[in-house]
Amino acid sequence: MAEVTFDYGGRVALVTGAGRGLGFAIAKALFKAGATVAVNDRTAESCAAAIARLGGGPGLIAAPADLATGNGPANAVAQATAGGRLDFLINNAAVNVERPVTATDDAHWDLHLNVILRASFLTAQAALPYLRQSRGCIVNIASELGLHAIANNVAYISAKHGLVAMTKAMAIELAPTGIRANALCPGTMDTELMQECARDSGDPASYYAAFNRYHPIGRLATPDEIAAFVLCLLSSAAGYMTGAAVTIDGGSTAGRQ
Amino acid sequence: MEFDGKTILVTGSTRGIGTAAAALFLERGGSVVLHGRRQADVDAAVARLSAAHSSDRVRGLSADLSDRKACRGLATSIDGLDILVNCGGIFREAAIAETSLALWDETIAVNLTAAWVLSQALLPKLRATRGTIVNVGSDAALLGYAGCAAYCASKGALVGLTRALATELAPEVRVLCLCPGPTETDMMRASIGTAPDEEKARQQWASYTLLNRVAAPTEIAESILLAASPRATYLTGSVIMADGGATAGKRV
Repeated sequence: MAEVTFDYGGRVALVTGAGRGLGFAIAKALFKAGATVAVNDRTAESCAAAIARLGGGPGLIAAPADLATGNGPANAVAQATAGGRLDFLINNAAVNVERPVTATDDAHWDLHLNVILRASFLTAQAALPYLRQSRGCIVNIASELGLHAIANNVAYISAKHGLVAMTKAMAIELAPTGIRANALCPGTMDTELMQECARDSGDPASYYAAFNRYHPIGRLATPDEIAAFVLCLLSSAAGYMTGAAVTIDGGSTAGRQ
Repeated sequence: MEFDGKTILVTGSTRGIGTAAAALFLERGGSVVLHGRRQADVDAAVARLSAAHSSDRVRGLSADLSDRKACRGLATSIDGLDILVNCGGIFREAAIAETSLALWDETIAVNLTAAWVLSQALLPKLRATRGTIVNVGSDAALLGYAGCAAYCASKGALVGLTRALATELAPEVRVLCLCPGPTETDMMRASIGTAPDEEKARQQWASYTLLNRVAAPTEIAESILLAASPRATYLTGSVIMADGGATAGKRV
């Protein structure tokens, strides 16, 4: 298949949770496409490590902040906009710890709701003046679990559904300003986190096999292929898209096999 | 009658959709626990409903839904439960730029987290009766509205909560989300009251629906009872739109 390339030279992007996994893949793709990328992660160390893996340079900005806090999201935006510009906000940071209903305590609930949902609102709020100026773009990384459910993940599922709904409200409110807001709903990705979970399960092969079966396409997504689509959503190719919740899930929400 | 022998807790039932639902449950044989934030409002609603239906099958409890401890206390005060209707909610409009952290947190706390905390705390009782949870959502769970990011987020998340609980609690407990469209309640009137032209604002709300009118609370209550009905045995995880067609089609 032909590779689609984009030129984002002169654009500035903030990617939350870019220390690893999908966030890192998005930061990498944007940086490769010429954008200046603000890398947010929880600590200065994890931001620095991600920036080093990307090769360093003036096109990379560390924007460490704990997004679970009330002022962390605005803090991340402040670091990203030190140069006075922001074109793209990618709300990717998330927590995903599976727990049955009976074992879900307040701290677990709050962490998921605050990082996934509240932080995505607060970064957008803080970024708004810059996005207005650039007629920029918000991509909220939701999940297929923003559209349907599985057992033992109530806090995550609630937060991701909320993120999809919030994206639509933002899209409607911001449409007159030229700012687009879309939600992307990926299926399971083969990330470092996934590999850790597989190792922890004691039987990585059957752990992966179960996820492969879950997705009709028969495999997990690579973070790079999801990131490539994020770049597409940011481009003029998606200039008429706003308020969409786009599935990119190997068919898992489309039907039953 | 349909709800004979059933105990039903309806949060936010001192007025609006909640009070209409409580009245219908009572009329159809149920024992109703009313709930409101202020004890005086609860007492008044209990007196009103018990007089209107000449019934002693109604009592009331007060609790602040934004306070988890109070929600858990409310759950503890209930001995047995067949149906939980999470109806209590708040609607505060604000543009994205003007939305305070307090507005966001309170909206999520009341519209989402209270429903979660009550569902979790009442789960053993609902399992014992193979009960039903009805979450009262909104068309705003599926449709974005300007000036309502926090509200839309809370109601969308409530749909997620519904699906997650339905998935995990099947087949013991059915969990549904009943989503009203614009309804003639104090909550809607408060919003209209802030508009420069109230009649125009009301028509704007009505225009979102195919029926071109806002709902009466009793119409929404009928849909809640439909979802909660012991006859609705194959309904679970459903997102039922009682929205006059707002999500189905757009009038141009």
